[in-house]
Amino acid sequence: MNLVSDGTFRFLLSVTTGGVGGLWTIHDLVFLARLRGADRRDPLVADQRFGYVMGVVIGMIGVIGTLRFNGVL
Amino acid sequence: MAVTSAQAAAMAPRVVSVWNPANAVTASRYLTLPFLWWAVDRGYHQWATLFIVICALCDKLDGLFAKIFDCRSTFGELFDAITDGICYGFGLILVAAYGWAPVIPVVFVIAMGALNTILRGVYIRRAGRALNYKSYAMERIVGYTGYLIGFATGGMAVTFFYWAFVPVMLVIVVHDAKRMLVDAVPAAPARLDRASPAGANH
Repeated sequence: MNLVSDGTFRFLLSVTTGGVGGLWTIHDLVFLARLRGADRRDPLVADQRFGYVMGVVIGMIGVIGTLRFNGVL
Repeated sequence: MAVTSAQAAAMAPRVVSVWNPANAVTASRYLTLPFLWWAVDRGYHQWATLFIVICALCDKLDGLFAKIFDCRSTFGELFDAITDGICYGFGLILVAAYGWAPVIPVVFVIAMGALNTILRGVYIRRAGRALNYKSYAMERIVGYTGYLIGFATGGMAVTFFYWAFVPVMLVIVVHDAKRMLVDAVPAAPARLDRASPAGANH
């Protein structure tokens, strides 16, 4: 019992994972770049920096996984 | 200087009822779980994905409702966090039990989640007051956790996404554990009349 065709379902999964992953990577890269001049010893800045780096990693995992799912990698 | 009753009322902390629209949206997430179970049990991958997407969307909507209806509260934050744990924990156990996801990473995710909850408790005890531990990295990995269930129900690169999750989660939990157990606890916010030294810029 399906809601949509297999091709559409695959497309929706790819967009919601690869698309969001890609946008999230850009989002966190921009925020990471904005922190370049900030005080590294400030605990809040350090936490933000670490969080954005992890966000970039997670976003990249989303993009790579989507490419693998579609047989590109 | 005399304080009028209107001023006193304005200065008093705002009391928000637990029966508010944001908490109703949070509670409604539990309604998706029986349907998720039904879909997984019947092998309906698309329906299962739909129900976990609805559950995740409600997680985003409750924060929006809290802003729109101005009903943010400590209880709401706690209720939201507990609901995250129960819904995502239930979803992960379900997909692993039905063989839709690898068991070892699922056990790891749940164990790390439980460890993080314990560490938050230790952090609150260290602080000696109710304190919401904020971690930018943990916010991101929680989003990934929601996606994990969707990867299993959608049959999308399941092995890759589950095993890629493990080292990322491990690094974040170790990082946050150091912050919660070793680093200094932030000072309690000062009262407004003592918040800043004389002559400080605002």
